[in-house]
Amino acid sequence: MAGSSTVVLKKGEFYHRKVFGPETINKGAVLLECDWDGGTFESGIMMGGLFRAGRFIDGTFWGGVFWDGEWVGGIWENGFDRQGRYRPRTDHPPHE
Amino acid sequence: MRRLIIASPHRYPDLARLWYRVVSQRVAPAFARAGFEVEIVIFRDARPETFLPENYPNARLETARPKARDFVEFYDAALEFDSEFLFFIDADVFLLDGAWAVSYLSDLDDPDKAAVSFLRRATVPGVYALLCKTEAYRRLPKPVLAATYERLEQWPNALNRGPGENAVMALQQLGRSVLDANAEANAPISDFHGTTVIRASREMFAAEIGEEQFLALLSRKRYFLMAAYDNILLGNLYERIFGETFAPGINGESLGGSVTIEALRRILNDLEPGVLRDKIEDYFARSNRSILKLAAAQGVNYEFPPVLPEHWPPQNVAA
Repeated sequence: MAGSSTVVLKKGEFYHRKVFGPETINKGAVLLECDWDGGTFESGIMMGGLFRAGRFIDGTFWGGVFWDGEWVGGIWENGFDRQGRYRPRTDHPPHE
Repeated sequence: MRRLIIASPHRYPDLARLWYRVVSQRVAPAFARAGFEVEIVIFRDARPETFLPENYPNARLETARPKARDFVEFYDAALEFDSEFLFFIDADVFLLDGAWAVSYLSDLDDPDKAAVSFLRRATVPGVYALLCKTEAYRRLPKPVLAATYERLEQWPNALNRGPGENAVMALQQLGRSVLDANAEANAPISDFHGTTVIRASREMFAAEIGEEQFLALLSRKRYFLMAAYDNILLGNLYERIFGETFAPGINGESLGGSVTIEALRRILNDLEPGVLRDKIEDYFARSNRSILKLAAAQGVNYEFPPVLPEHWPPQNVAA
């Protein structure tokens, strides 16, 4: 259950070059070149940008860097691990 | 007989069809005349069933598989093909004179030369139009041709290296080099940018955020504006040559899978004078030259689509 300080991003919303902290839950927004730092990604699309921390539960990860955090599920279209290595389609975290 | 494989990953069958037409007409025959057994391989990065084989006669059509899970991994998979030479030509790059490329083969007799790059988009040559000796690249650390990030701790100022760029530096450490033919004046190449990325972006999230937000994003992103313009130029040529719709939208409308002429014209009309517009005008002039070269090579008397607002420089000046 989301608390009063929780920020919920919804389907139909679009963010470009924004930073989202641990209070954020994505429930369908599209994030382009954003910085995700500790929140819960339940659905939506992360295109480019940096996944610093948090949980990726569902949605699409496309072209960004997965620096740290927990990959629970979702579509890994492509991206990079924390060493900067390219990880192709389906090669989702955890990475060696 | 020496073998050459010309390889390219594609996401969209229409662009692949135009690409294949140019390669099969203008590149493959030149290498065949130079004594090569030539094969053309198209990697279908998405929806392979939309690539009708009759549109790519004699091409080998590949699809995603282990070790070639997507278009970037395909580059490394191609290095394992049974061929002494590989020629990567990007989906929106059109090499118009195969004899020009063949003229560089003698440079590759030098054992220290690993490849010839005919098109460079960054400071280091990538795979955009790269004729390489496969044995030289197979010796490099794997993945050989994948994109990478460096200096991630300095995000957002990390360094992104495109496919093939790291291989150039790895070759240098072994005392080998890539000949850069990019600087040659009047090179017979037509080069377009981002034409697949903008279509994939629309496909992935335009419906999610709505048309208005998608077009608003476009108006701020130079790369997307360039790509939208290039698709309009290519679409105009494609429809002249093949009589079919290019980059159709969900209702089958021309360019609806990218950005329509009317939509881009509205965006450009609202673009204020300034740095972005100056850069866009310069880029469009370059694209105009590219499409005119490509159309001439196809024997088409090209007419520019009515995409630029009236107060912009006319397109045919660039010819």
